[in-house]
Amino acid sequence: MHSNGFFLNDVAGFLGGYYAFIAIMNGIAALVLWRKKDAATWAFVWSVFAGVMMIFASLALSGSKSMVPILPEAIRGLVNNLSGPVLYTLGTTAILVVLYVFRKFFVQPMVAWTVLNISLLLLGLSMADENFAAIVMKPDNVPIVGLVYLLAFFTWVATKQAVVNDERIKQGLPVIEKVNDEKVLVWPDLVYTELICMIAVSALLLVWAIFLPAPLEEPASSVKTPNPSKAPWYFLGLQEMLVYFDPWYAGVVLPSLVVFGLMAMPYLDFNKKGNGYYSIEERKFSYLVWQFGFFELWITLIILGTFLRGPNWNFFGPFEYWTPYKVEVLNNVDLPQMFWVQWLNQPLPRAPQDAGLLSQIGYILMRESPGLLVMGVYLVALPPLLAVTIFRDFYAKMGFIRYMVMSNLMLLMLTLPLKMALRWTLNLKYIISIPEFSLNF
Amino acid sequence: MAEKKKMSVADILAAARADKQSVADSDETVVESAPAGTDASPAESPTSEAPESAAKPAAMKPGPSGRPSVQEMLAKARADKATPSAEPKATTKPGSSGGRPSVQEMLAMARANKATPSAESKATTKPAAKQPAAKKTATAKPSPVDGAKKNVQRDTASILAAARSGAKPGPVSKAEAPAFSKPTAKPVAKKVAKAPSRPVPPRPERKKQEKPGKATAADDRRGFLSYTVGSFMAVGFTALAATTGLFSLGIARFFFPNVLAEPPSRFKVGNKEGFPSGVVETKFVAQYGVWVVNADFEGIQQIYALKTVCTHLGCTPNWLEAEQKFKCPCHGSGFYKDGINFEGPAPRPLERYAISIAGDGQLEVDKSKSFQEELGQWNDPASYVTA
Repeated sequence: MHSNGFFLNDVAGFLGGYYAFIAIMNGIAALVLWRKKDAATWAFVWSVFAGVMMIFASLALSGSKSMVPILPEAIRGLVNNLSGPVLYTLGTTAILVVLYVFRKFFVQPMVAWTVLNISLLLLGLSMADENFAAIVMKPDNVPIVGLVYLLAFFTWVATKQAVVNDERIKQGLPVIEKVNDEKVLVWPDLVYTELICMIAVSALLLVWAIFLPAPLEEPASSVKTPNPSKAPWYFLGLQEMLVYFDPWYAGVVLPSLVVFGLMAMPYLDFNKKGNGYYSIEERKFSYLVWQFGFFELWITLIILGTFLRGPNWNFFGPFEYWTPYKVEVLNNVDLPQMFWVQWLNQPLPRAPQDAGLLSQIGYILMRESPGLLVMGVYLVALPPLLAVTIFRDFYAKMGFIRYMVMSNLMLLMLTLPLKMALRWTLNLKYIISIPEFSLNF
Repeated sequence: MAEKKKMSVADILAAARADKQSVADSDETVVESAPAGTDASPAESPTSEAPESAAKPAAMKPGPSGRPSVQEMLAKARADKATPSAEPKATTKPGSSGGRPSVQEMLAMARANKATPSAESKATTKPAAKQPAAKKTATAKPSPVDGAKKNVQRDTASILAAARSGAKPGPVSKAEAPAFSKPTAKPVAKKVAKAPSRPVPPRPERKKQEKPGKATAADDRRGFLSYTVGSFMAVGFTALAATTGLFSLGIARFFFPNVLAEPPSRFKVGNKEGFPSGVVETKFVAQYGVWVVNADFEGIQQIYALKTVCTHLGCTPNWLEAEQKFKCPCHGSGFYKDGINFEGPAPRPLERYAISIAGDGQLEVDKSKSFQEELGQWNDPASYVTA
């Protein structure tokens, strides 16, 4: 934790520039809108907002900690108390669903600009909190904040084009990509653009490396693990998956399936529409499955792992101090334990001491029979069942093999959210637990 | 040069096609039209070169850049070889006007040389130079222009036939090369084939003395290694296998270092009295990776050594005194004091090292042996010392 004076020097100066940047950004936006003539109201709104941001900037630079704008203590406390892995996951899901359902509303430039401004303002107000700033302004994490905004922007652009195209298709017009042909010559147009991008990125990296140096840590030791111990940001989704699974599954099988599934996608896709242009309506299933896998099962997990997982991999609210002594009750049990001991009130089937290998395996299979049954139903019985019910259409169009690959990939993808939900609700550790052979699922 | 920009393949092809058309239609010389397909400006070449080059095989005209291309050089070489009787001038004029000849030009050149091995007069070459363009449009049909020189065979088949008969050593194009190489290869083969028939003892003797065989076939000198070991593939793969084997051995050597800079696997941790009941001793973690614990396990008060490796993914958990548990910082696995996993993803309890009382009464931990609870090994008396 920073001391107050140190924190003020460290963060308040930055916040001054930050608010001034928002002010300038909005000032330019207001000017552009004013020139357009028909958006005078919005121009007025943003110029006022720019003025407020200018005041914030001067407050932040005033040199007095009490003057720096900050989220009220009550709100921060409430957020801390409410947040947890369950609420985080459900909340992000709800936000994504809202963004998807009301996409026609959110793709409007002024709405998006408003959302951007609100998020920037909240970020600034939160950064005056020392605990929040300590995590967000960590050199490792700064680019991740940038990436979140970048991802949001590109998703917004794509969604906007898709919404426009869907509207045009409905009206019987050609899609926007056909109308404004954006084809450029590779040489010189594209290559020059790439050259400029290359120079800009190099300059950015240079500045970044100078101002945000990587932290120098103590020499590595096999008997000392930093607390918290975090993977590189792009693997934090994997690390979060590992909380719910055995390493062989979350660390080997699932990542391989992700790669394999991505490769299989073009062969599984039978929808010929949406080729070469953005569209959501024409490819709803593909779009939703992709966005669920990408945003829900990858991006939100990276954000969770980066900003909200603290010492001992405990969940911490955004304004909470990362103490390694936080006590969280996470006791969990395996399904066989649950089934035999808690529900049937009898001890786990255990092979006698001098049993041979085969009889030991027999006892293990009996002990794990509930889990094996559940997984058997899930992976073997469910695909045909889906084929004759909700995926009837898909099955007819895809044929047996393609349908089976698709349904199994989807079911395996869904093991992650299902396992997370089971952990939260039933405190279930493993459905199948055979530690004797390091086979747990 | 009219155009500074280098022409793309598509442009060259298009230009070549245009040339073809124009040659077929008009009665211009190839020389005049061909450079239009290359980099040379049409204005430059006809004025400076047309009279001269029209006289020579048209294709022998390097483009404006002055550097002959590979094809050009090959063609030139072939032409030189093929037309020893033709005046040297006729073959090339490097750097006279520079530039690379177009594909069409080169073809024309090759054909012209082929067709007129005894090109002496301007009269004969001119139609020959013109020939390819016309020929291209009317595929492989002998053009009417040939009527003037009936003795010149133009199609590949006849050239091949001539070559085989040995009557006319013509220039060799790429396509014809294999056909030409055959006859040269044949004599060698024939010699080898004849060789056994001459000496009376056919095989055994040849095996004994290799030199006569070598001497007869010049090509076989290269085959000495392959003759001795089988084939060059065998040589290559044997060498590869040997190298890989040696390399693997070299790598394997790294697993047996001369000096081991790690603590011994057996070490003494002090007397029993140093480990009061209910205490987890963490001072051996940094050096040895061991917690020494005195606690009750299944009704027996025992001292045991827990391995500081999380059974989930191998991080080092921390002992949290206030919460009386081991907690892993990587994925949040938790273990009770006795090492039993109870929270997080760890699938099995922590492992124990062997512990015993040494001769001097001190506790001794042996890291070379470990005991796993899920295999029922914690009942082994070597895994603990009764306190």
